[in-house]
Amino acid sequence: MRFPAFLLLALSVVSGQDGGVTRADWPHYGGTQFSWRYSGLDQVNTSNVKNLLPAWIFQTGDYTENLGSTPIVADGVMYLISASARVFALDAAKGTVIWQYRYPTPRPGIAGSHSDFIQNRGVAVGDGKVFFGTKDNFVVALDQKTGREIWKVSVDDPKQCGCNITAAPLVVKDKVIVGGNGGDQAHRGYLTAFYTKTGQVAWRWYVVPAPGEKGNETWKGDSWRFGGGSPWLTGSFDPDLNLVYWGTGNAAADFYDADRVASGTSKSRDVNLYTASVVALDADTGKLRWHFQEVPDDVWDFDSSYEVLLMDRQVRGQMRKLLVHMNKSGLTFVLDRATGEYLSSFNVPELYNWITGVTENGTLVGRNEPEMGKTKNFCPSAAGAKSWNSMAYSPRTGYLYTPTNEICTDITPNDTKPTEGRFFMNGDFPMKLPPNRTSYSHVDAWDPVTGKRIWSVPYKFVLLSSMLATGGDLVFTGDPEGNFFALDARGGNKLWSFQTGAGHRGGAISYSVNGRQFIAVSTGWQQTVVGGAALGIFPEENFRTGSTLVVFALPEGSR
Amino acid sequence: MKRAMLLFALPAVIPAQDLLKQGEAVFSKSCATGYCHGARGANSGAPRLAARDFDQDFINNTVIRGVAGTAMPAFGATLSRADLTAVVAYVGSLNGLTISTRIDRGPSAARLSGDAARGRDLFSDAVRSFGRCSTCHEIGGVGIPVATPIAKVPTDAAALKTLATPQVSTVILGGESMPALVVGKKANAALFYDLATPPPVLRTEAPGSIQTREGSTWRHAAVIGSYNDAELSAILSYLRTVVKP
Repeated sequence: MRFPAFLLLALSVVSGQDGGVTRADWPHYGGTQFSWRYSGLDQVNTSNVKNLLPAWIFQTGDYTENLGSTPIVADGVMYLISASARVFALDAAKGTVIWQYRYPTPRPGIAGSHSDFIQNRGVAVGDGKVFFGTKDNFVVALDQKTGREIWKVSVDDPKQCGCNITAAPLVVKDKVIVGGNGGDQAHRGYLTAFYTKTGQVAWRWYVVPAPGEKGNETWKGDSWRFGGGSPWLTGSFDPDLNLVYWGTGNAAADFYDADRVASGTSKSRDVNLYTASVVALDADTGKLRWHFQEVPDDVWDFDSSYEVLLMDRQVRGQMRKLLVHMNKSGLTFVLDRATGEYLSSFNVPELYNWITGVTENGTLVGRNEPEMGKTKNFCPSAAGAKSWNSMAYSPRTGYLYTPTNEICTDITPNDTKPTEGRFFMNGDFPMKLPPNRTSYSHVDAWDPVTGKRIWSVPYKFVLLSSMLATGGDLVFTGDPEGNFFALDARGGNKLWSFQTGAGHRGGAISYSVNGRQFIAVSTGWQQTVVGGAALGIFPEENFRTGSTLVVFALPEGSR
Repeated sequence: MKRAMLLFALPAVIPAQDLLKQGEAVFSKSCATGYCHGARGANSGAPRLAARDFDQDFINNTVIRGVAGTAMPAFGATLSRADLTAVVAYVGSLNGLTISTRIDRGPSAARLSGDAARGRDLFSDAVRSFGRCSTCHEIGGVGIPVATPIAKVPTDAAALKTLATPQVSTVILGGESMPALVVGKKANAALFYDLATPPPVLRTEAPGSIQTREGSTWRHAAVIGSYNDAELSAILSYLRTVVKP
């Protein structure tokens, strides 16, 4: 049955905040600009999810890599981008093509750098345009109605930076903000904001401050030039505070710090700013308002680029504007998003040995670092306790839903000197399965305020697909074997599963057209980076690639 | 033209052990890096290469031509012939093969020195963000080819600042006007670079929607302000070595 809207609100643990909930549309990468990946739709719910069936299927025809992008839905039209930037506008009820656009062959980058990776995590839609970033560092705006190119601008030169853009842009008022990859290389990361109307640059914010700017003193010598920190995913926006929030990447070199951190530096706070941090920027000017560095002197590649969830919750009897953010280590921080004040943190993976804990004010203690001339095993791995795929948050349950991996790595650091645009990780880090386990991942529900794990469902391989939570008290995600499944948001019981034919590395969204709720999921296992690493650690498996969007709904007439 | 596979005999003077050592060095710099194949091809992010029963032809082809549609680049375009020989031999050794005697050709890199080398670095200096030359000019594959290829190198910094730019016009679009480089007309679209502020934005509009006037307020001096005269001189000496009239 369908809950009336007033009942929905009454059941919600959150009062007075609706900014994270999507309805008919799925307007942003993370659902809304609050990045909850939560749809308020409840036509599909715990009692009828067993009846879900495919309503339509769309094959992009782009089998260069997998389909890992999150679609956008606006007014019954879905905007979908494939790995090599073919963009489709589809009738969101039927899957028929309204227009399609094919990005031409990108300019070559540096062989053996980030610029080789073919990946696109999504478009952004706003101001009558569809925006996306490209493998050769262009940002392109298409006409939302026709797919015609309106403007195109180069953000950086792939031949020099070895960088690329794989993140979905974020539309904020009259601007579109884009992060880039390249922070594992000799490169200096940045965010760039463009006016949606003209493509002109509105502002650029460098993660690593230049000499004379505050924070540059946290870098040894000239190391700031190639300090990394690229914010390679998509941020969030709070319109009331007019602040844009973004997670920044790891410092470069990843596993060796002697050339970027002066000897004798205290590692308790603010080392190599503003890498491995959450930052709040003025949406109009790009000026830094506050920062919180989660991993001072990151030597594990635990960059903090992941999604930033904005929510209002009671903390110690007081309603607070919160920001919840997990980095690759799986350590998840709860901050006051107006001020950046540290409130609490909790550790999501079961296996960790890089620190022993966190103090009451958010300082890491018991750091266990890679050592020159040694190979040491670390948990979690640089692939992440969670990879870049997003968690979800339901205001009905008040829980975060995270796909967590229990994979470790053997880090052997080296002191190779940087060459611009080339990998600058300074370490070898093969992924290793931890001993004495039969399952290497789990879907969890966490209460971000108490930091308690409510339930956990183990899975034998890794989980690298984003979570979707819905008003029907369901949590959806997919696994590498091709299963797309729904869990009960309150207890974690598996209520439904469907074999989609290829591994899941993207994520699901929900939307409705003419009152019918749809759940769409991108499929196809990633062949490189973390998806490729999973193939390496599970050599007997054949996680199948592909590039297909599968869209589910309750059968017509059965609702 | 279809590219023929070129075969080279391995110079007899290089002992096998040295070749494998060189191959390992190339491999660790170009293949084991980052999220790619890992040390000794043991797999970090890209597929494992060790003990896969690859044959020599497969390794040779894959190294040189890459794998279309994946992150595996064509190293034939970027590694020297000696490095290619060595890395193919090395990957072969990871698969139990004895040393390869076949390899394709790779181009050799041009060498610069002194002022010109400094000029090359300044030309594309990332610290200057959009204020660097390579924001609009491409030389030797580096930079964004917005401007037409540089055909004539100005004599000095002063000449560079007062460069005449008759190709920049003024485009009027819906009541706004902007300095622009009109680059072409498709059947149903006018294409121009909007030069209002760097970087240039390639805009596509319906031909009837824009008006174009000759001349503009745009000045080359205004976009090269991140460089001092000495730096501009170094850039010019770089250009003199690479721009052939």
